Amino acid sequence: MAAHPSPHLFVPDLSFIFAQSLSGLTAAMFLFLIASGLSLIFGVLRVLNFAHGTFYMLGAYSAYQIVQWLGTGPVSFWVSALGAALAVALLGGLVERFLFQRLYGKEELYQLLFTYALVLILGDAAKLIWGTQQKSLSRPPGLSGAVSLLGATIPYYNLFIILLGPAIALGFWFALQRTRAGRLIRAAALDRETLGALGVNVNALYTGVFVLASFLGGLGGALITPMRAIVPGMDTDVIVEAFVVVVIGGLGSFWGTFLGALIYGQVLSFGILFFPRFSIFSIFALMAAVLIIRPWGLLGRPLR
Amino acid sequence: MMRLLTLLVAALLALPAAAEAQKPIKVGMPIPLSGPAALFGDPASKGAQMYVDELNAKGGVLGRKIELIIRDSKADANEAVRVARELILKENVDFLVGTLTSAEGPAVSVVAKENKIVFIAPIPKTDQLTAADKLHPYVFRVAATTTIEGRSTAEIVAKWPVTKIATIAFDYAYGQDVTKAFVDYIKKIKPSVEIVDQEWPKLGEQDYNPFINAMMAKKPEAIVSSIWGGFFVTFSKQAKALGVFEAVKFNFIGLGEAGSPETTKSMGADYPVGIWGNSYDAFYWDESSPVHREYTARISKYLKDEYPSSWAIQGYIGMQFLAEAIKKANSADSEKVSKALLGLTVDTPAGKLTIREKDHQANRGQLYGKTVKEAKYPFAIMKPVTYIDPTKFMD
Amino acid sequence: MSKRIPWFWLVFVAALFVPTLGPRYYTFLANDVLIWALFATSLNLLVGYTGLVSFGHAAYFGIGAYTTGILMKKTGLSFLLAFPLGGLLAAAFALVFGFFCVRLTRIYFAMLTLAFAQIVWAVCLKWNEVTGGEQGMPEIPYPDFGWIDRLAAFVPVLGGYRTAEQFYFLTLVLVAACLLILRRIVGSPFGRMLATIRENPERAEFIGVNVRRYELAAFVLSGGFAGLAGALFGIFNRGVFPDFAYWTKSSEVLIMTLLGGMGAFFGPALGAAVLIWLNQQIVSYTEYWPLVLGTILVVLLFVFPGGIAGAFALLLRRNRRGVARA
Repeated sequence: MAAHPSPHLFVPDLSFIFAQSLSGLTAAMFLFLIASGLSLIFGVLRVLNFAHGTFYMLGAYSAYQIVQWLGTGPVSFWVSALGAALAVALLGGLVERFLFQRLYGKEELYQLLFTYALVLILGDAAKLIWGTQQKSLSRPPGLSGAVSLLGATIPYYNLFIILLGPAIALGFWFALQRTRAGRLIRAAALDRETLGALGVNVNALYTGVFVLASFLGGLGGALITPMRAIVPGMDTDVIVEAFVVVVIGGLGSFWGTFLGALIYGQVLSFGILFFPRFSIFSIFALMAAVLIIRPWGLLGRPLR
Repeated sequence: MMRLLTLLVAALLALPAAAEAQKPIKVGMPIPLSGPAALFGDPASKGAQMYVDELNAKGGVLGRKIELIIRDSKADANEAVRVARELILKENVDFLVGTLTSAEGPAVSVVAKENKIVFIAPIPKTDQLTAADKLHPYVFRVAATTTIEGRSTAEIVAKWPVTKIATIAFDYAYGQDVTKAFVDYIKKIKPSVEIVDQEWPKLGEQDYNPFINAMMAKKPEAIVSSIWGGFFVTFSKQAKALGVFEAVKFNFIGLGEAGSPETTKSMGADYPVGIWGNSYDAFYWDESSPVHREYTARISKYLKDEYPSSWAIQGYIGMQFLAEAIKKANSADSEKVSKALLGLTVDTPAGKLTIREKDHQANRGQLYGKTVKEAKYPFAIMKPVTYIDPTKFMD
Repeated sequence: MSKRIPWFWLVFVAALFVPTLGPRYYTFLANDVLIWALFATSLNLLVGYTGLVSFGHAAYFGIGAYTTGILMKKTGLSFLLAFPLGGLLAAAFALVFGFFCVRLTRIYFAMLTLAFAQIVWAVCLKWNEVTGGEQGMPEIPYPDFGWIDRLAAFVPVLGGYRTAEQFYFLTLVLVAACLLILRRIVGSPFGRMLATIRENPERAEFIGVNVRRYELAAFVLSGGFAGLAGALFGIFNRGVFPDFAYWTKSSEVLIMTLLGGMGAFFGPALGAAVLIWLNQQIVSYTEYWPLVLGTILVVLLFVFPGGIAGAFALLLRRNRRGVARA
């Protein structure tokens, strides 16, 4: 077996560091979109939704499908992305309302395994509908070029994603802080029984949270299509990444998820450079370290 | 009365023998039919099926039809082993033809060895499949090897006006072996070459950005990549966005069949036209033999595609060798067939190929060329495309 | 004393005759079932008996498989030593990992078990020199069965078996032994204490039980036996591969445990048998096995959370009640 020759001692220059951190940021923003939904569901429903990766995958496939129907016009990509996110949100709502709600009150393990059953069922449904060959989409016209910054080539689409991430984060944070729905969600995360006693329709709230989270996951999947392949198995790969992010940042903490995604992106990016064979290992070692030292994550709160 | 009775008894005795003769020869084919590898695996299986259909239409071999049982190995060594064993134990296949990745090939070879079943590998390239310590009487290969591919590539790249080269390959047998073969040979024929960077993403990687950045930071003048199949589609999309191909002035060669029609077709306008690539076959190969042209017409009709896949030919050739060996051995017994395969020459659509006795390896080369965009086709093709004879590269 | 049918021994004896049924495929399937039965039962010690839900049990399966595989293939060590060493190393890792895991509860516990399993997977995938990396290690040698052939000279019934069948018998004996040991453990005061902890960990603390130490012990035992199952599987599978430790393997064994019934000792073993048999049947008709499995899982969760064993027990109870009333 060939051993890998070690690279020459390499002093990175600024443009490389910049490029690498931007690619880490891009990956992080996608993960943030997905993981934020996961964190939201956990924060309010106290359930780790394995199927969240599958919603992400369905978002990607739906976006692909809508583009097939609409053709490649100037706005078709954006319409598809939005349409896909809405479709996945609807699916999430239906699943929660008619299936998942029946499992509330039962053991956590059953709820967890139910979400895994969804992974199996929905994953195969995607194979049935779209086949097993990988699919891909092009970047939308308008964002298909690149700009040269600090000596590095940065594609416009990557920049868009990097800016979109924080925009969505701020938007959601604002909504959680200022709107009534947001306040209810935060209250439900802290104390659902009291909330129910106060006359709030907690079940409808749960459905709403699930719909919102699925929207985010589906949007993440739709937006990643110009950069990655749409292929069976993308769901099981991404869900573990999302778990890492949410654990590092803090289960249930919104900004924790953002921070966790940032850290994940940079560790993976620079890991490739400094310890190439250990980059995968280091991600999970980081996850374990956080759980050992500070289980509720960097910005999370201990579960009551 | 006695005569009638004798006739009846004779007929009854002949019946089981006749039934034996009618029993089909079962061939198991574990090959990826899902995921990014399906881009290559699916057409390969169809090429094999076409050969079988044509052969059966002519009466089969030794008066028996061939039954091809194709199963999805998911490009995973563990799954391939499991599928191969089920094909042997449950379906009672007589032979195995298949596998695609260089992880699947050696793993299934072990299964073939233990069950004493002839296994013809039409695609895995790693040298390890037929290396001295892994060779056994039942494994044969009609694909190119990483040695052949690496050295053919070195010959091409040595002619480029570059000295600083970077490689990017999957971190498994194929990627490791082909990169090593390339590096060792080019250092021999052009000592001024410097390998400035080597990247090793894991097989199945979806995000190549960090690897690409790390590679480009070393400012290579040329890139030798062996990212293959659907993975190449993803990789080159990301690389194109980062301006990689322009940065190396298209001194980029995509091993692992990045020049194949299915790759260029599936990428359409996103394909980085101007890079070099290789392929097992090309329907537009002008200098090909009449045998090849005739084959191309048939596969085009069979696949209902005017621009047929280049991978079908490997499945086809794999089955062709098996059928010819069965004919030569006059038996469907793996012991006899394995002996018949040694030194067997078959006139395939890719030319006359011979499986040499030394390491059960056929002299299978590949087509290499620089891609261009021709108005005639809606996707890039290699032009001029040359078949590089592998004989001088085989130790 | 009530009339209790010795199911275990009946199944054991019946299993002895599988190779004589003819098709090699039956031996193959039965061997598979045995190994997964051990794997699932080991997990149940943790999930069903102690109430600790682990998502990373495949880690120990993988460690056992790689250890025994590496020892037998690279150092030529005999199975007699390599097999227990596989289980021991898995138990050792379970000790280290478990030490950190049992300090956490519920979802954090599950996440940490997952993290450790993924670490094991990452090492198996990338440590090319030792584990073979992506290719894994094909061709793990069978144990030396020369002694069976020599013994067959005196005991003719032992003769004439293929290596795969000899390995099947070996697996049967070893798995049966492990299951008996596990059953002993579960029925012992230690086992009963685990059940108490599962019911109510706080109460156990109150009455002076060092809950963490018991949980860690359960973790180690569970990991050790999973390692033994992995060691057997590596040989059975004719090769050891990194995805032995990937998290989807952990979920497969968890589903088997649930399917069979976490409340009964032989529930998981039953679940393993049913799932593998069902997989075989379905796969010959359709490639959409995950769809079928997912649907079965949903039905289980909503209708039969006790699994097959649970449903069976319910039926029996209803029968007995009916008889008593009559």
